[in-house]
This record gives sequence, structure tokens and C-alpha cells, in this order.
Amino acid sequence: MSHKQSYAGADPLVRPATQSEAKESVSAPRRPELTSTLARKCLIPAAALPIWLAFSFIAIAQNPGVVKSAEDLLAGPMQAKATTACTECHEARIIVQQRLSKAAWTKEVDKMIKWGAVIDASDRDPLIDYLSGNFGVEQPQYQPPRTSSEKKPVAKLK
Amino acid sequence: MTTRRDFLKRISSAALAASAAPSFFLQNSFAQDRGISLPGEDGMIVRSSRFLDLETPVEYFDFWLTPVPHFFVRNHMHEPSELNAGDWRLNIGGEVEKPFALTLAQLSKLPTHSVVNTLECAGNGRGLYRPQVPGVQWGKGAVGTARFSGPRLRDVLQRAVVKSSGKHVMFRGLDEVPGKVPPFIRSIPIEKALDSDTLVATHMNGAPLTKHHGFPARALVPGWIGAASCKWLTEVKVLDSEFVGNFMSPGYRFPNQPGKPGEVVKPEDTHPLTALNVKSVISGPLDGASVKPGHVTIHGAAWAGEADVVKVEVSTDAGATWSAATLGHESAHYAWRLWSYDWKPKPGDYTILSRATDNRGRSQPDTPVWNPSGYLYNAIDQVKINVA
Repeated sequence: MSHKQSYAGADPLVRPATQSEAKESVSAPRRPELTSTLARKCLIPAAALPIWLAFSFIAIAQNPGVVKSAEDLLAGPMQAKATTACTECHEARIIVQQRLSKAAWTKEVDKMIKWGAVIDASDRDPLIDYLSGNFGVEQPQYQPPRTSSEKKPVAKLK
Repeated sequence: MTTRRDFLKRISSAALAASAAPSFFLQNSFAQDRGISLPGEDGMIVRSSRFLDLETPVEYFDFWLTPVPHFFVRNHMHEPSELNAGDWRLNIGGEVEKPFALTLAQLSKLPTHSVVNTLECAGNGRGLYRPQVPGVQWGKGAVGTARFSGPRLRDVLQRAVVKSSGKHVMFRGLDEVPGKVPPFIRSIPIEKALDSDTLVATHMNGAPLTKHHGFPARALVPGWIGAASCKWLTEVKVLDSEFVGNFMSPGYRFPNQPGKPGEVVKPEDTHPLTALNVKSVISGPLDGASVKPGHVTIHGAAWAGEADVVKVEVSTDAGATWSAATLGHESAHYAWRLWSYDWKPKPGDYTILSRATDNRGRSQPDTPVWNPSGYLYNAIDQVKINVA
């Protein structure tokens, strides 16, 4: 599943339980195929999806205020391999917010290999170079987005 | 009980209007409208959407009890993909005479106890350490205060009859571990587990826990780092020694002696993190704000883990002089105190500081105690504002 699929708005990966669900049971798919989920949710016929997605991209292009629910890794020689190796388990945003030295990135990459990240031995050093080059101590700080505001008055708690 | 409204009244609505909302706060509010849609999570800073890690913007520290939609969320792993209250069990075993399992219905029949607790992630403020260290780059808002309710863990353990060999209590949650990542399992000493305020919490601010906060039950270890309060609790195991695992060592440990920034610390020179330390945060004016001269109220929250905040001081001249802030009326043993300080500034640029002191004589340091994982950041808080 491409991480770019989550451009389309609410991230089904992190759907929280509503109160009514909390009383009964909660079942949230962890890694659903977003296209099929959206198709089911929105009742969009499969044939209409490309058109719908195209309009979504146009809307995003015209509205720079729209925030991606998942972050992308920066372009570079190891972008694709880093995306595959790292975002299998966690969002790229975890990476792009780091500002680490090469030594610190080396420790992180080796820890992640130990924890199951699939990285060919020949890719280890280029991956460390890519990470420390793009997310090193000299880069400006990452500015995280926010969740949208629900605009509802918050009940006073007693 | 003093409500947030009462507290803010003292801040003076006229003064708030006169001082004007900080310009960048307005920009942030505007940005929220176009933020990531996450039902039930309102205006939160997204540190990660998978695993879900959400930070509370400091402007929400004006609530003594943090509303759940504004309460920080910290996950190490994937949240449980399936949670069915009917199938859920809490298994109690290990160094006990009578291991048993509880259903949620059985758990809910046990006597309930409530604790207002300030829950803070050990890594809160990690992003403020220099040099930066790996991990979620939390700012100031991986902390919140809520009324947690549920049976005492002690009552559950006593029913199982803990053996004399039982020295530590391990918690296991239902979060799902990817790859070969070690499971998020930690333990606490038996004394803390048997404390009358340590809970198997099922409710938060009077409502059942939401999924992000550990439905249907979580451990609540008051005054301690958030990592002690295991979510989606499914196993309580009494051990004869501290649990051995990644999240006890090398994770969640602190140097025995302060070192220089960037210094390597040997594992044998560290100890497990337990209680939080003393800390205050300025929730307004916000850093970078521009306010009008006249009457400005500086306000925020202060907490001290298992200790009590006894004093918050404010400096409006970058630390040259300090004045006592007024502590809010709402208080509970493990909960933060809101505080405020009325100030009449002339035009100019100001560096405002806040410093809390607790009943053990601990005060916030000028600089944080550097450690390789960026835990327990508690340096004197600071905002820079312009009065014009």
C-alpha cells in the first residue's frame, strides 16, 4: 500500500472509538486498503474512483492549507528503499522530525534492522547517508501539523 | 470547586481583550480548520499518525482537568485492531497463590476509587534538548490531567494473594507489535502496585476510556511517568524481580549522575525512571505573542509527580528578578496546579520565565539534566513576547 493513498483525508488507521463503540466493542482495521475502504464508505463505484481521486488532487493543489495525514520522505537515492523499510511499521513523520548526527542515525538504523526492518546489507550505509543528509542536525526544525478542530464547545468538567 | 471559568475570571476578561490574542495563535487556530481529521482529537499537534502520538498545545493547559479530546496520546505500537468488551479478560498471575481472570463486568463490580492525576510522558520536552536525541520530538504538551476511576490494583492483587516472593508487578497490554520489536512490557515495584491510589482505571473524566487512552482498562500509576500506566491492560503478573525487557533497559532509564550534553552513559550507571519531577509550563501568553501594554496575566500549570507544588515564581526580566505567582484553588495530590501572575508591562521585548518548587525542596533547574534519551525535561520554562 502506498503511503500516498492517505492524502484523501481522515486516516482510517487511527480511527478512535466513539463512546457508543466503547460501550460495546471496538474493531478498527489496522492497515486496510484505503481505496476499498473509501469505496465502501462513500459508496463510490469502482469506475468512478479515478475521477474522484483526480478531483481530490486538484482540490488539494488549489488549497495548500490541506494537510497530509501521512508525511512523505524527501526525494533522494534511498527514498524508495527507506519508505519500504521504515514505513512498513511507522509513519515517515517519525523520521522527518528527527535531527540527528550520522553516528546517531547509524545507531537507529542498526536498532531498526535488529527489530525487523528489511534492509539489504549493501543498502545500510547509503540509507544512513540519506537519513543523516536529509534529517541531520543542520536542517531546520520540522513543523508538525495539527488535527482539525471540532469547533464544539468543551463541556465543563467537575 | 473552582472551575476553569472561575480561574479565567481572575485573569480578567477585560485584560484578555486588551492584551489581544497572540497573532500566531490566531494563525494556528486558522490552521486547525485545515488540519488532519481525527475524530475525537481536537486541535492536537500530530507528532505521528502511525503510531499515534498526539501532543496537547499548551493553550489547553488552562483546564485543570484536560478534556479527553485535548489529552495527549502516546503509543509505542499499533493500537489493538480488535477490542471486544465481552471477550476482554484481565489475567492475574505469577507469584500469587490464586491466579484468576476477571471479565469487564466482574471488574466493574469491584469498589471504585478516583484519582486526579497529571499524566506525563517521560519524553515530554525531548525536542527541547540540545543536542537532539532520537525519539518522538515532543514539545511541552505530552502531559495532561484527568480524573481516572476504577478498582484499586491492590484489591485485585489481594484477591489473588501475593506470595512473599512477589516483589514487582508487570503489566501487559493488547497493543500490537510489528516486526521483531520487543513488546511494550514494564514492571513497577510491589509497593507502588499496592498503593491505595494505583488503579486499574476504566474511566477518564467520568466516561469510559476511549480507545486511544486504553479502553477498556489501563493501569494508572499516579505521579509516575506515563509509560508505567499500561493501556489496554490484559495481564498483571507478579514477579520476584524487575521485568527484564527493552522498555525497562535500555529504555526508560536515567543517568545516576548528571553528564555533559551529548555524553555517552553506560547502562550500569543508570536507573529506571519512576516518579515525575517538578515542572512548570507557561500556557499564556504564548511564545512569540504580541500583546498590548496594560494588564497582562501570565498563566500556566505546574506539577511535581508524587510531591506537591508549593510555589511558582515568574520572572519578566529573563531571570534577574522573580515574583510569586498565585496558585489556583483546584488541587489534588497527584495533580498539577494552575497558576497566574498579573503583570503591567510597558512596551518592549520580554523574556518571561516560570519556575516551580515542590514540598521536597526541588526547583526547576536553569538547564535540563541532559540524558541520551531526552527524558524528564524540566528546565525553567521560557516564552519570548513583544508588548506594543
